[in-house]
Amino acid sequence: MSSPPTMADAPTPVDASAPAEAAPSADPGPRAPMRLLRAVGARLVAVASVLLGAATLAFVGLKLLPGDPVATLLGPQTTASPAVRAQIRADYGFDEPVLRQYLHYLGELLHGRLGESYQLQQPVSALIGEQFRPTLELASAALGLAVVIAVVSAITTAGRRSGLRSALSAWELVAVSTPSFWLGIVLLTVFSFRLQWFPVAGTEGVQTLVLPAVTLALPIAGVLAQVLREGLETALAEPFVVTARARGLSRIAVRVRHAFRHAAIPLLTLSGWLTGTLLGGTVLVEKVFARPGIGALTLQSVNTKDMPVVMGVVLLAALVFVVISQVTDLLYLVIDPRLRKG
Amino acid sequence: MRVIRPRLPRIVGAALAAAFVLSACSSTTKTGPNAAEPAAGPPVKGGSVTVAINTEPTCFDIHVSPQDITASIQRNVFDSLVAQDDQGNFQPWLATSWEVTPDLTGYTFKLRTDVKFTDGTPFDANAVKVNFDRIAAKTTKSQYAASLLGPYAGTEVLDPATVRISFTKPFAPFLQAASTAYLGFYSPQTLAANGDKLCAGGPQLVGTGPFRFAAHTKGQSLTLENNPAYNWAPAGAKHQGAAYLDKLTFRFLTEDSVRVGAFAGGQVDIAGSIPPVNVKSLEGRSDVRILRHDFAGAVYSLFLNTTRAPFDDERVRRAVQRAINIGPNVQSIYFDQYRRAWGPLGPATPGYDKALENTWPYDPALAGRLLDEAGWTGRDGDGYRTRDGKRLSVQWPSAPAAVREQRDILAQAVQSDLKKIGVEVQRPALDLGAFTTNAYAGRYDVLDMSWARFEPDVLRLYFNSANLPSAGGQNAAWLSNPQIDQWTDAAAATLDRAARDRLYAQTQGWVIEHAAVVPLYAATTLFATGRQINGLRLDPNAWPLFHDVWSTRR
Repeated sequence: MSSPPTMADAPTPVDASAPAEAAPSADPGPRAPMRLLRAVGARLVAVASVLLGAATLAFVGLKLLPGDPVATLLGPQTTASPAVRAQIRADYGFDEPVLRQYLHYLGELLHGRLGESYQLQQPVSALIGEQFRPTLELASAALGLAVVIAVVSAITTAGRRSGLRSALSAWELVAVSTPSFWLGIVLLTVFSFRLQWFPVAGTEGVQTLVLPAVTLALPIAGVLAQVLREGLETALAEPFVVTARARGLSRIAVRVRHAFRHAAIPLLTLSGWLTGTLLGGTVLVEKVFARPGIGALTLQSVNTKDMPVVMGVVLLAALVFVVISQVTDLLYLVIDPRLRKG
Repeated sequence: MRVIRPRLPRIVGAALAAAFVLSACSSTTKTGPNAAEPAAGPPVKGGSVTVAINTEPTCFDIHVSPQDITASIQRNVFDSLVAQDDQGNFQPWLATSWEVTPDLTGYTFKLRTDVKFTDGTPFDANAVKVNFDRIAAKTTKSQYAASLLGPYAGTEVLDPATVRISFTKPFAPFLQAASTAYLGFYSPQTLAANGDKLCAGGPQLVGTGPFRFAAHTKGQSLTLENNPAYNWAPAGAKHQGAAYLDKLTFRFLTEDSVRVGAFAGGQVDIAGSIPPVNVKSLEGRSDVRILRHDFAGAVYSLFLNTTRAPFDDERVRRAVQRAINIGPNVQSIYFDQYRRAWGPLGPATPGYDKALENTWPYDPALAGRLLDEAGWTGRDGDGYRTRDGKRLSVQWPSAPAAVREQRDILAQAVQSDLKKIGVEVQRPALDLGAFTTNAYAGRYDVLDMSWARFEPDVLRLYFNSANLPSAGGQNAAWLSNPQIDQWTDAAAATLDRAARDRLYAQTQGWVIEHAAVVPLYAATTLFATGRQINGLRLDPNAWPLFHDVWSTRR
């Protein structure tokens, strides 16, 4: 985790966050587009190699699985005839040399084809495309909720030695350590089975999104709030806070406009971890709440040894991580003007 | 979402919930007894019913999928040539009558002439041929239906309403196979247009059944809609004509606690696969009915590898068979809902040999004597028996990915019972791939399996030497016994019920007496339905039939 330069090194702490600093750089010469192009090109190459690495690792991992792929696919108790087995072997190219399988797989990838599911008779890209929306809804709802909870909780309690702070802090620890599987079932028991406020499952309408989003959001909110509060408390101890207060800014304005900006950097750095939690969390949450989505698709394809789908999901996860980290890098520049100078 | 619901049972978390929710609980609406009373009087047309099930089918194509859940749902979309009643007798369905050649290699069916697929095309002899040929074609990659067709030779269209199906060998189990949903009929038109898109489910799955497949939302639910033209229900149905319900929705609630909770909270009308632990509390409610169906097929059993030491010694096998305290184990793990098994077949299977019951009770003393006789007289530091310095230890591989019905807990009970007589049971946990490879190579001492099917021919698949795992079969005990081969082959070659029963009884007796198998339990199919649901029946395969179902909830 990289940490931003501490406030002590910063030349003009208070005004660093003023909008004027965001003005374009002083060198709009003809070479600027070239530089930009080269920077973008380098990033794209990096993205492509990460994806190639993920695809290769997924392929190697798959080939290292013990057992005959046809027998694995059919499961332990099957009545499939030798003719059917031979047909499966030929259709999926299991009888070809591994290197040729690998090259064929990469070639298909280059053309944007993720292959066809072994079990579902559908192209993997169509399956993922169709399952992506519900997961995106769930993940963004959870993320939004988590950020709101964390920000409110941290800003209102940072640096205050109150009972509220201890209570919230303790609650956050509980939320972080609660298995989301169990949390989901408790929420369902109370709000769906007992109070009948929300339906148990599905993707129709906003009300089906509430419980799963809360389940996914609470542990994330716990971590975010802890990190944010820590950052806020560090920032609030800085001299510029006194300066700002001396200029007549209210307590809350100092927190929201200045300290929060400093504390937001570690929060952003956490986004990689966050993405992982969201992707992994959807597997459990979608299972408990019987929601369609990438998590449910992953679980089913792993259980049914539907390897093209598993590999498609691995690639999707790699892509999401890469995109998130690129977006994070850009956001660093937006939040911390000192990083823009270099 | 429906709001009015009767009192709920306490479920895990409710106590903790109270702390979160404070006083909100008091707002729960409680209904009077009237709302949940079963309706008297004639069936009501219309309405919709939601069923919660524990598995989402991987593939909806009945000709391809080996999954029980696929057949269970599709039974309501696809009809069969014949129907089978609970006693195992066959009744007309899409076929009005049939004749079988004396050598059981040819079956001639007279078909109904008024049957139409839901796309409007007629069901005729050609449709039968197109469907059976598709199942047998290797490009279909049928994982189960093709094996039900056995030694299929071909189908001949004699005239539009007469069809003859031929086999290369005598094949008595064909009528039973033809009565299952796996050998149901798609419209030839849809097979031609969508033959490679049937796994995904959807309106392209066109059959002749009381419902048509309207929609499938992957990961969530599927919807069937009424087929208003339906007028060819089998003889066992409670009424003729279209089904009562307009709409039937299956929800995939794979988590047991969620499925039971959603049912108890009234969000679904019917729930399948009720965990045994929940049955008592649901049964105590006046607004709930529990529907049970005894298991048919090969019960959950341990198969002892008769070709590998130490189980190549029959005395050791018999010792193991008698040293497991099966009754109490099954009773406590499955809360009195599943039955202890006494033979390889479930009690509802035709040909089940009741005479085996109570013939081999728990007897650890006898087991000890048998092991002594076999020379396992020494003891090592851990209390296990030894012979020539070697510990009496057996391998029982498990594939955690495939464990269900709390079989892992039952296995622990078996392990501890066998430890008492000095037998060590090792349970290496394997990836499904390694597990399968080991199983077909015979690298195990114990293998556990069950197979739901309303047909005693499973005995042939399980014990006939033609079906050794090395040949891709299910003979997990690796039996190669000419006597067993002759009995099971002869039973598959006759339609004489009495003769079949006798041959199958002999087979069941032999495999128990020689301890090739240790049957453990026969799972009971458990459905829970709200009182508003009437007319739900389970067919002999324990598949729910919704043609006669109606709901009093408007």
